[in-house]
Amino acid sequence: MGKNILEFKHVGKRYDENVVLRDINFGVEAGKFYTLLGPSGSGKTTILRIIAGFDQASSGEVLFDGQRINDVPANQRQVNTVFQDYALFPHMNVAENVAFGLQIKGVKKTVIQQRVKEALHLVRLDGYGERAITAMSGGQRQRVAIARAIVNRPKVLLLDEALSALDHKLRVDMQRELRQLQRQLGITFIFVTHDQEEALAMSDQIMIINDGRIQQTGTPVDIYDEPLNHFVADFIGESNIVPGVMKKDYVVNINGQDFECVDAGMKPNEKVEVVIRPEDLDITTVDKGELKATVDTQLFRGVDYQITAHDQREHEWKINSIHKTTVGAQVGIVFDPEDIHVMRYNESEEDFDARLDSYEEDED
Amino acid sequence: MKRKVAWGKVYLGLVFVILYAPILYLMIFSFSSGKTMERYHGFSFQHYADLFADSRMITIVINTVLVAVLASLIATIVGTLGALAIKESRGAWRNSLLSLNNVLMVSPDVIIGASFLIFFTVLGIRLGFISVLLSHIAFSIPIVVLMVLPKINELSPTLVDAAYDLGATRWQALSRVILPAISPGIIAGYFMALTYSLDDFAVTFFVTGNGFSTLSVEIYSRARQGVNLEINALSTLMFLVSLALVIGYYFVSKHAGRRQRVVAVKEGDAQ
Amino acid sequence: MRQKALFIVPYALWIVLFVIAPLALIFYQSFFDLNSHFTLANYQDYLTSATYLKMTLNSVWYAALITVVTLVISYPTAYVLTQLENRQFWLLIVILPTWINLLLKTYAFIGLFSRTGSVNQFLQFMGLGSHQLLFTDASFMFVAAYIEIPFMVLPIFNALIEINPSLLNASKDLGATSWQTFRRIVLPLSMPGVKAGIQAVFIPSLSLFMITRLIGGNRVITLGTAIEEHFLTTQNWGMGSTIGVVLILAMFIVMFITGDSREKGGRH
Repeated sequence: MGKNILEFKHVGKRYDENVVLRDINFGVEAGKFYTLLGPSGSGKTTILRIIAGFDQASSGEVLFDGQRINDVPANQRQVNTVFQDYALFPHMNVAENVAFGLQIKGVKKTVIQQRVKEALHLVRLDGYGERAITAMSGGQRQRVAIARAIVNRPKVLLLDEALSALDHKLRVDMQRELRQLQRQLGITFIFVTHDQEEALAMSDQIMIINDGRIQQTGTPVDIYDEPLNHFVADFIGESNIVPGVMKKDYVVNINGQDFECVDAGMKPNEKVEVVIRPEDLDITTVDKGELKATVDTQLFRGVDYQITAHDQREHEWKINSIHKTTVGAQVGIVFDPEDIHVMRYNESEEDFDARLDSYEEDED
Repeated sequence: MKRKVAWGKVYLGLVFVILYAPILYLMIFSFSSGKTMERYHGFSFQHYADLFADSRMITIVINTVLVAVLASLIATIVGTLGALAIKESRGAWRNSLLSLNNVLMVSPDVIIGASFLIFFTVLGIRLGFISVLLSHIAFSIPIVVLMVLPKINELSPTLVDAAYDLGATRWQALSRVILPAISPGIIAGYFMALTYSLDDFAVTFFVTGNGFSTLSVEIYSRARQGVNLEINALSTLMFLVSLALVIGYYFVSKHAGRRQRVVAVKEGDAQ
Repeated sequence: MRQKALFIVPYALWIVLFVIAPLALIFYQSFFDLNSHFTLANYQDYLTSATYLKMTLNSVWYAALITVVTLVISYPTAYVLTQLENRQFWLLIVILPTWINLLLKTYAFIGLFSRTGSVNQFLQFMGLGSHQLLFTDASFMFVAAYIEIPFMVLPIFNALIEINPSLLNASKDLGATSWQTFRRIVLPLSMPGVKAGIQAVFIPSLSLFMITRLIGGNRVITLGTAIEEHFLTTQNWGMGSTIGVVLILAMFIVMFITGDSREKGGRH
């Protein structure tokens, strides 16, 4: 565990009556790729703006390298931002844009030239220095914006929805490049996005934000496999979320039927929510199925079929299966105990982690 | 940051004082019972009474309004047709039309006035109501075009296609789809033309003859003879009319969902 | 296609009759003397006469001064306006005086600046004594600048609010102070507005004749005054047209210099 380069302690943000952030706490380790993921209006961009210094926290502390920076103006922070709309200066060419931060700091001309060249090389824009910004494509502008930020060698690089303006193919390419760049430079990246696929693909750590709170923090795999609550389960990937009752450790009751599962540490007969990912469900014959269902729709998606079906209790299930079926058919749905993930209502992240630790230790 | 904004507000306040002091000054003295703008002599409506008894002035006001209303009406029709024509034109034609349209917008009023004077003389048109009206129509047309054209450009090209698709004739597409859609621009153009016309001095000064005068020209000739508080009374009334026009224009443009550029400013003012 | 042609008839007629013909006529007229003989004498006179050349230089000089004064007052005004919450409303307040008849505003200054007028009363009150204000160069420039301020504020304001706020954040993010941000980002990006403003103020200032008469007391002769005099007083249309051609040339030069500023804001 490295030490935190950036820390939020009980940070809140209000605009008049409007509460945007409530009691945000997190630490950011040097050299990792973080993603703030949340729907629009969740407060994720506000967190970014507070880090950059464009907004002030209404309460709480922001620490950078252990120093409180609440009152440090944006232009004195060792943080640089890649803006959503790139914010490239239209009256300067590519090299002038990249050189701007260094010129402001009074770096020597020859050094500036060298570093601008290096930065442009890093983003694969060698030889584009004299181009006008207007002559650059969207993807190229994106690279200029990144070069302009990293040329200053910030300790933390903030990226605000940085890929959202690109088309799908370019976006996927840039995801890979950004990740590579981050590893190469060893700078901490904090990336804001509402695109969960992007977050899962790029991050070391994801923070899911909703309604001004951090809902869950974890690696992409943790968050996907063990969502803390309904919001996270629903927001990340596709999911079937059904109410259930925890009979005892490792047994959950769904729709009156008991199923073996891998979750424990809850009160007997506690009401819970059960998450099963569509890709963990599969279609089989009625007699072999754990649940019986009727197929309502089927869409071919290339890699699999997206099927919806309803069981005897009229509950709808989303199934991603490589097996084809027919609309109207009676089928069985099968899944394994480890495919079931049980979520308690209103469980905090600390309690969730503690509970997981307690019974995972038991097993060992 | 806060301090800077405060200083800015002080500065802005000062600018507002400079901008409005002369206007308020005029209005205050219109209620003075004295004869000069030097010392306030106590409240009186005397100058308003004089103004309304001044039949020459009343005639001139009527002339001015008549010219303004007629000129802006005709200019609005021609200008709207012109904007439609510019929209239909392509490439070099379009650019030349736009440039020609803007000639009168950027020409100094003296040039417009002098060249129109030669023009009317060559054609043998007697200087008076007709020459003034024609001039006002002429310099108002480009304003209307510039107000209407952005509205036409905003129109989705599929809008007209949709009208044809639904069976509209060319005329129906124009009258039922295009004109209603660009009407905010047309109304704004009319208002602008109206204020240009009411405000014009230099062009009218060149092309008017004996026996026909507009307010601006009349004020000029009276002001050359010195202070006359009847003019103050008149300016107070005109200020109120201007205010009403501005509010009307503001309301129309706002109502029509026009963003931002509420205030296009008038050329004629600077002469 | 026929209908399309009908559209353009009135507008085309306007272009031919009221745009092209008058300009052609003023050019044509400039080659005729008082006796309607074709001649180059007007241009010869103009180019060799110290009076005309001096008058032209004077006019350009005054127009430049008026433009600078207006710009110095207007730029901060526009900048402060953009910082306000109800900026569109306050902008309207700045623009409102342009809807008041120009003659009336000028007339107000006759009262304000007169020997015993309010400004002199104020100066006396301050112990500065009374001065001849009316019919001086300073008063002429002050009134001209007063009238032009809104025309300069508007294009600059429009250029300023068009600047993407995230550019300012980006500049701060890259370490620039407020002043550095202003000088390196805001100022260069507002130049189109400044140019449009200069265009909107300089050209009319060359051709002012009403203010020179009422406030300047004929001390200041501009190109505009000279044209008015030749056309309406001395009836020497040929010479008036020649000066007119000079004025049109000056206009094109100014437009060329301040060119490439986009057709935004301004008084158009």
